[in-house]
Amino acid sequence: MANVSDDWAGSRRGTRRAEPDRPQQRRARRVNWREARSGLLFVLPCFLLFVVFRFGPAIAGGVLAFTDYAIGGEAHWKGLANFRRLVDDPTFWSALRVTVIYTVLAVPLTMAVALGMALLVRRSFRGTKLLRSIFFLPVVTSLVLAGVIFTWVFSANGPWSSLMRLLGLPHGSWIADSRLVIPALVLVSVWSRFGYGMLILLARLQDIPTELEEAALTDGAGPVQRFRHIVLPHLRPALFFVAVIETTVSFQVFDTVYVMTSGGPVRASYTLVFALYDQGFHYFDLGYASAIGLALFVMTLIVALIQRSTLGRQQ
Amino acid sequence: MRKRRSVLAIALALAAGASLVACGGSGGSGGKQSVTMWIYPVIADDTKHHAFWNDTVKAFQTQNPNIDVKVEIFPWANRDQALATAIAGNKGPDVVYLIPDQLPKYVNNIQPVAQYLDSATKSDYYPNVTKSVTLDGKMLGAPILTSVQALMCDKKVFDAVGQTTYPSTWQDLLAMAPKFKAKGYDVTQYAGDLSNTLNLTFYPLLWQAGGDVFSSDGKSVAFDSDAGRSALDFAKQLVDGGYVDKTMLTAQPPIEQTRVAQNKVACVWNLAPQDVTKFWGAENIKILPPLKDAKQVQYGTVGSLVMLKGAKDKTAAGKWISYATSDTVMKDFDTKSSFFSPRKSTGSLYASDPVLGELEKYVGLTTVGPIQPKARDVMGVLAPEIQAALLGKKSSDQALRAAAKSAQPLLG
Repeated sequence: MANVSDDWAGSRRGTRRAEPDRPQQRRARRVNWREARSGLLFVLPCFLLFVVFRFGPAIAGGVLAFTDYAIGGEAHWKGLANFRRLVDDPTFWSALRVTVIYTVLAVPLTMAVALGMALLVRRSFRGTKLLRSIFFLPVVTSLVLAGVIFTWVFSANGPWSSLMRLLGLPHGSWIADSRLVIPALVLVSVWSRFGYGMLILLARLQDIPTELEEAALTDGAGPVQRFRHIVLPHLRPALFFVAVIETTVSFQVFDTVYVMTSGGPVRASYTLVFALYDQGFHYFDLGYASAIGLALFVMTLIVALIQRSTLGRQQ
Repeated sequence: MRKRRSVLAIALALAAGASLVACGGSGGSGGKQSVTMWIYPVIADDTKHHAFWNDTVKAFQTQNPNIDVKVEIFPWANRDQALATAIAGNKGPDVVYLIPDQLPKYVNNIQPVAQYLDSATKSDYYPNVTKSVTLDGKMLGAPILTSVQALMCDKKVFDAVGQTTYPSTWQDLLAMAPKFKAKGYDVTQYAGDLSNTLNLTFYPLLWQAGGDVFSSDGKSVAFDSDAGRSALDFAKQLVDGGYVDKTMLTAQPPIEQTRVAQNKVACVWNLAPQDVTKFWGAENIKILPPLKDAKQVQYGTVGSLVMLKGAKDKTAAGKWISYATSDTVMKDFDTKSSFFSPRKSTGSLYASDPVLGELEKYVGLTTVGPIQPKARDVMGVLAPEIQAALLGKKSSDQALRAAAKSAQPLLG
């Protein structure tokens, strides 16, 4: 028995075949193709740059991970040798632990601050635009410059130590203390990243129809209930996006570590990307560095997929 | 169709033009050969450094009018990253300044240099100098300077404390440390931040204790030994006793911000006179032989000019290296940079200089450190363990054992 969909498809095909091309349609198709072609031409430079500087190196890195390539030497196929070395390398596991701790602290904190700031500057009042610009400023500030400044801020004689002393808390250099160096780096990360998350969340916040909140207000809903039942559900896709981006950025932390701590003290801030850099550009072992990079890519992908299946499942 | 043809014609013309340009390229214009050399701020004053090479290139070109030489001075920081990526991208220089512990990393990219130096020159180098630039029987670099890290003390600090004798052994240093501490001074400085090379910090102590980084066949590490523990215990005693600035264990501030620059440190072995002269004053710099425990030895490096295999014209590059490391040029370079000669025939360069003249006497007590392909990798796993021990997180034994365990797989 021919089912409905077969009939439908057949009739569609039949109709299409039976329908003669009219000159107007042909012209429209030509125009569409011309537009598409010029569109593709505009995209082409960016696409080529992406292939040459992003996609190509990523593929090359993936291949190098299976070789023993050292700068200036020849590459020999080594199969899974670099990955076996990873498994046995205590430095890799220590770097992974540091990276995970950093990410677990940095991502929620950055998102919380971003959300708070977005809610703060959501409504227009005198100076909102200036405030938004100020909040976004750290995003466009060089991380190297920020690293240099925060090295001083967190030094034994810096303002952070003075503040801790005033509050009667343990003071001294946070970046010289192996227990406090990650919190110090997390604070720098929050400072430098919250503006980006704020911008994404703010755009979404402004899309929430005001009638919804007004209706809830009329029904006697308090600020917490309005936030929980109206704002938060609307923000979910934006929060998911920010969570994925922040997790990826946190997994790849390097600049501030390089400038502020060099991975120390005692490898307490030695992250995966720092390990990758060390192997590639201190020891010139690009094969092993690429294996670390590939492992990092797989881990980031898995975390993003988990986030997608939890935070983003309603999208 | 006509339009397409004209586009094709333009493309062909451009391609032909490009190939013509390419054909005329590598050797320089008008049949001239070219040599590019990368060097670092060996002469600290940038203006003087540029002037030195400008004059040297001019003098070279009077003898070799067909060879253009371009000397580029790069900063010390991240020099390996810059050089390695340039070599990988086929944009490396023809000649570059390297020190012995860099040679094993670039050995595949280095053109042995012996054939470009005359036999009188080669036999004039001190034997330990030749050995430090030789790998697998091949002379990889033409030495241009040597350095010495002896013990250097601040006379002003000794006067302030009322200490009239200077230390010559570890025990001397430990014995006088409390006196300095009581008056608010540090007896020495230990630069334990991970960005520092152990060649200037822990290795001299290890050598002085009679130990070494690698076994004699280079197949295993040797620092996990009684000598290693003795060296680390000595450093720990200095830290635990409060005789050194603890912030230097985890930070590397500019020298201006350190207690050395504030005349608060009695003696150091990781700095050169030119680093401290403006803070201490030349008249207060007291140069002493390296500290002694089981042995009396210190780190000193050998700077050499190395030809890379990618050199466009090896004969021209060889001529330049031979000229730049010739007796007269080298002497001028060494005195302007406050370093020492790698040649026997030079004699003393600083006979009338009370600081450098004294330092020059200890050239024979130096070692360039381990020349092993994995020397830097091993340093990378040892340095954090040393730091952990000095910060009190591990005992000397635990730290050295952990470092040896991590280092051994690197050596295969």
